[in-house]
Amino acid sequence: MDKLDFSGLCSRPFSEKSSAHLEDLSAITSSVQDFPLPQVQDVDRFESEVMAYVKPNHGTTTLGFIFKHGVIIAVDSRASMGSYISSQTVKKVIEINPYLLGTMAGGAADCQFWQRNLGQQCRLYELNNGKRISVRAASKLLANVMFSYKGYGLSMGTMVAGYDPTGPGLYYVDSDGQRTKGQIFSVGSGSLYAYGVLDNGYKWDMEVEDAIELGRRSIYHATFRDAVSGGTVSVYHVTANGWKKVRGDDVGELHYEYYPAAEAHPCFGTDPLEAA
Amino acid sequence: MGESQYSFSLTTFSPSGKLVQIEYALNAVAAGATSLGIKATNGVVLATEKKLRSTLIDESTVKRISVVSPNIGLAYSGMGPDSRLLVRRARKQAQAYYRVYKEHIPVAQLCRETAAVMQEFTQSGGVRPFGVSLLMAGYDDNGPQLYQIDPSGSYFAWKASAIGKNMTNAKTFLEKRYSEDMELEDAVHTALLTLKEGFEGQISGHNIEVAIVGEDQKFRVLTPAEVSDYLEEVE
Amino acid sequence: MSIFEYNGAAIVAMAGKECVAIGSDLRFGVQFQTLATDYKKVYKIHDKLFIGLAGLGTDAQTMYQKLKFRHNLYKLREERNIKPSTFGELVSSVLYEKRFGPYFVSPVIAGLDDKTSAPYICGMDTIGAIETADDFMVAGTAPDSLYGMCESMFRPDMEPEELFETVTQCLMSGADRDALSGWGAIVYVITKDKVVARTLKGRMD
Repeated sequence: MDKLDFSGLCSRPFSEKSSAHLEDLSAITSSVQDFPLPQVQDVDRFESEVMAYVKPNHGTTTLGFIFKHGVIIAVDSRASMGSYISSQTVKKVIEINPYLLGTMAGGAADCQFWQRNLGQQCRLYELNNGKRISVRAASKLLANVMFSYKGYGLSMGTMVAGYDPTGPGLYYVDSDGQRTKGQIFSVGSGSLYAYGVLDNGYKWDMEVEDAIELGRRSIYHATFRDAVSGGTVSVYHVTANGWKKVRGDDVGELHYEYYPAAEAHPCFGTDPLEAA
Repeated sequence: MGESQYSFSLTTFSPSGKLVQIEYALNAVAAGATSLGIKATNGVVLATEKKLRSTLIDESTVKRISVVSPNIGLAYSGMGPDSRLLVRRARKQAQAYYRVYKEHIPVAQLCRETAAVMQEFTQSGGVRPFGVSLLMAGYDDNGPQLYQIDPSGSYFAWKASAIGKNMTNAKTFLEKRYSEDMELEDAVHTALLTLKEGFEGQISGHNIEVAIVGEDQKFRVLTPAEVSDYLEEVE
Repeated sequence: MSIFEYNGAAIVAMAGKECVAIGSDLRFGVQFQTLATDYKKVYKIHDKLFIGLAGLGTDAQTMYQKLKFRHNLYKLREERNIKPSTFGELVSSVLYEKRFGPYFVSPVIAGLDDKTSAPYICGMDTIGAIETADDFMVAGTAPDSLYGMCESMFRPDMEPEELFETVTQCLMSGADRDALSGWGAIVYVITKDKVVARTLKGRMD
């Protein structure tokens, strides 16, 4: 398979003859050829067959938006395999570095591995260039890896959010190799529900507290409607000073915070003995 | 049109509102051997004459009381072949009920179903009413029960009843002898006495049939030996 | 995805001392989309007999109507309420009628005997194979979780209050591991002289 040679992006400070340890490091950070392929005739078919086992995090709701006072990132925390809820406490925001966040949708392992890989690339960029990488460049690094693995069955739908000298940045990057800059994104099985609330409540010049609440509420509504989203709502706020986790609420309690009286909810139940 | 216009029901109303075919059917019943039943506090007894045209017939092969389901049986007066069709239908009905509910059919249910068959034959084309009356005895969750079903399809629950040749006399006899607190053993005795009253010739364990159903909810036709024992007690 | 998981359900029935309890979750969804959270899957046949129908929603409703119809006729014919065990056989018969094109439901029946107050619990597959139990029975999209809960929580001869608590815990905790069921629950406790129904708040995600 042809792959883009992007090794030039990570110029190596050490010669190829340096210690074995450092060679290993460089292998992780750049080379994509190092993953052994399964010894089968039809790789594509084999991959599609084993796909079910490596994608345990299919249901998700994540969102991010840029507004006057920075970027808001909000996510749920559920992991599922089919209809089985395998975890309610998944960390779906990946803290790449103090100024960069990545979100996780799709395959958990793919997201975790490649965003950690991205973190390493970003750190090397800092060391090489003596300044922080821009959100634009960081997201491009990730998109390039994704493109180089196109067709190999990676599953990742992510947002790269951060702050750099040009201001707040938000990019959508997925395993198809797509990369899009945007102001509002929501990714995952519950994204449509989140969009409904988010688009309705979004204003550029909203206050920080209101923006945080909008993110939280959007995720909550997505967890209500989407069976494979849930757990806790985590909200991050990114400013010029870096990111900060501002919320972490259990949806089990959040629902009754929003709707303390059962009658207040549109899905309010009927009299228990009436229909029986 | 075909033949249908000629195959209308034989049971057609007379101008006075009677269904004469049903009355004729009742005549057939009245000509049949006497059967009677008595409901006791703890069971029901059915008793019937088994008088045969010829002494050359092997009487042990003649059956006038049939078990329909484990807890229900019936006796008939009138035309034997007609009764066998009803017994077959009743047995099938009982099995159908058991197949659906895994529970034995209650006496009242089976009685109604059987009566419905008899009614159908008073209204259908190309058929005649049954020449039999039935006494259906059984024991279920509602206790011991005795029903009489007539050719018209009408049925009633009885404390004691008689059908067939001697029914009028037998009923009169039963009216005198019956008491509400009678137990099954007494009822058997009374049944035998009633039968004996109108019996022509010498009564024995071989020329009558007796069946009982008690609290064990098992309907059972007594053997000639058992009947003989009871007859001895009565004498 | 299995047709049994199209709408989602969690049902638990459990026997106590002269009492039974049966409960269901309240979610009604289409695949992963939650449409309603007040959808009860337990139906009353009479004061001492309830049936829970898990599986495809449309078939469950049709099945209930069919059973209601059969029971109404039974009542008219026999002038009595049907016994729980007899009703179980009836459900089984109705299901087997469609042996080669089954209703996609898994029923759970819970009732009290009118005379002895003995609890009766059974479940069955789509074509009517009855499985009676003297402890508990579950059905729905998370049977493994529900069985696991019941297996560890059940104690013989529980009084109505304790039984209610146990069934509630089993149902709610079991459903919490299932994406397709939950969103609150309803539990009926049937005793000799009354039925107590309680709607329960649960996680709404």
